[in-house]
Amino acid sequence: MSEPILELRGVGKTFKRFDHPPFLLRNTLTRLFRPAPPPPEFWPLRNVSAVIQRGETVALIGRNGSGKSTLLRLVAGAAYPTEGQIALRGRVAPLLQLGAGFQPDMTGRECARVNGAALGLSPTTLEERLPLITTFAELDGHMDTPVRYYSSGMLARLGFAVAVHTDPDLLLVDEVLAVGDTAFQEKCLARIDELRAAGVTILFVSHDATLVRRLCVRALLIADGVLAADGPVDEVFARYAQLPT
Amino acid sequence: MTPEPRPLPPLWTVRTPTGARVCRREGDRFIPTRTPWLRDRLALLRVFIGNDFRARYRAQALGVVWSLLQPLVMMTILSQVFKRLVGASDPHFPIFLLIGLLVWQWLAASLNSATLGFVGNADMVKRTVFPRALLPISSVLSYGINAALESLVLIAMIPFFPGALHFSVALVAIPALLACLVVAMIGASLAAAVLNVIYRDVAYLVQTGLLIFYWLTPVIYKPTQLPLHLQAILCWNPVGGVITGLRNALMYEQLPSAMEWLHVAVPSLVILFIGVLVFRAFEREMLDHV
Repeated sequence: MSEPILELRGVGKTFKRFDHPPFLLRNTLTRLFRPAPPPPEFWPLRNVSAVIQRGETVALIGRNGSGKSTLLRLVAGAAYPTEGQIALRGRVAPLLQLGAGFQPDMTGRECARVNGAALGLSPTTLEERLPLITTFAELDGHMDTPVRYYSSGMLARLGFAVAVHTDPDLLLVDEVLAVGDTAFQEKCLARIDELRAAGVTILFVSHDATLVRRLCVRALLIADGVLAADGPVDEVFARYAQLPT
Repeated sequence: MTPEPRPLPPLWTVRTPTGARVCRREGDRFIPTRTPWLRDRLALLRVFIGNDFRARYRAQALGVVWSLLQPLVMMTILSQVFKRLVGASDPHFPIFLLIGLLVWQWLAASLNSATLGFVGNADMVKRTVFPRALLPISSVLSYGINAALESLVLIAMIPFFPGALHFSVALVAIPALLACLVVAMIGASLAAAVLNVIYRDVAYLVQTGLLIFYWLTPVIYKPTQLPLHLQAILCWNPVGGVITGLRNALMYEQLPSAMEWLHVAVPSLVILFIGVLVFRAFEREMLDHV
């Protein structure tokens, strides 16, 4: 039975061009007397429509700067589309950057608390899961250390551990599986498999073809801001290979 | 064995260029509905406030003592200056000053920190998702905890200034006055925080504005010491109204008059209203600039 969890309808995003920063006083004054032509429009993402069903694991692939991360940010709600509509339901756990929102002076425990709360976990549930999170992140005995003393690996492990223990319905992952040593990567993948088995929907950005083939059946190819292909992984990769350079 | 996945909630979050709405779905259409949103936000707000407050004293030996020390030092210096240079003779003047300084310190600290809130937490604002308004609101409220602690200094002063503070029914005005103050501060913080992301000048504007506003607010003087034509305008300053109201309640057993309530409540609500409008207008654009 298919049950849509995410629907994109004609999603587009433009950012301000900074050829002429519009909000500097000097520019505003000049503009008053000599109206400048509007800067050319730049759409990192346009006309993206797709439906993702519950339980699917979908990879977003494409070149650097093609708009994958922008799309993921829009789905997460960390930015709003300029046109179109994004509809989703359930609890979303965005892993756009590991350790986002950690402040250097906060202890590991406090980071986990704030991060968990921002991901929608109630404080009591979080306290219950802290031992699990700690063990998963291999941070036993380090949770009361301010995170500025953490290594980058420790930070990434903590960020990942919190996000995958928040009962997400939809997990958004941006290139963050490539953290830590091989053993930890394996552990992350094992956890992702567990989540998939539990019916969690996963949308992730990756350049790693092996990883994509291992995790997904379906992939979306973003090229120059438009959805260039949507379908079985192998077909989409074939299309990716044909893209003019 | 795969556990049965829990059912997806029936409500959808729909994001369009004009904002996010919670909707139910009928066929292909999304129809906006109302949801209980307050409970989750209060839980998150509590975490933010607690964290903000603890973060302030991290890696400090004296911690909260610093914020007790500041009003004390200010009070001592200012009352000595006034006594020696101006020849002020009111023996309760230090208490009078302290009340003004406590309120002012709360206002200045929370406005300054809220203004930098989004820029300073750019990482979190850009890469995680939460109701963004909670960040400036938690700045105001977590400095409220500081203000409450600093008020202990006021109580500690009772034996040194006998007869300065009175406990009477007039104290019932205090919660309402403070509520107005919080409303005004939240309004100003929301606007300043979101605008500062787009125009980084705002932080300087707030700093400079506070410097001017300090002298337009009866922190170290009585409003009645002003020329009449200034009084007519400055009586609409809600912060001044709150300070004067607190002094009257604590020191002179007086409740604010109906007119004084009006002068505090109306501008506070106007500031909140404008702050919310500004925040909603720029919130989505702000996310592209952090």
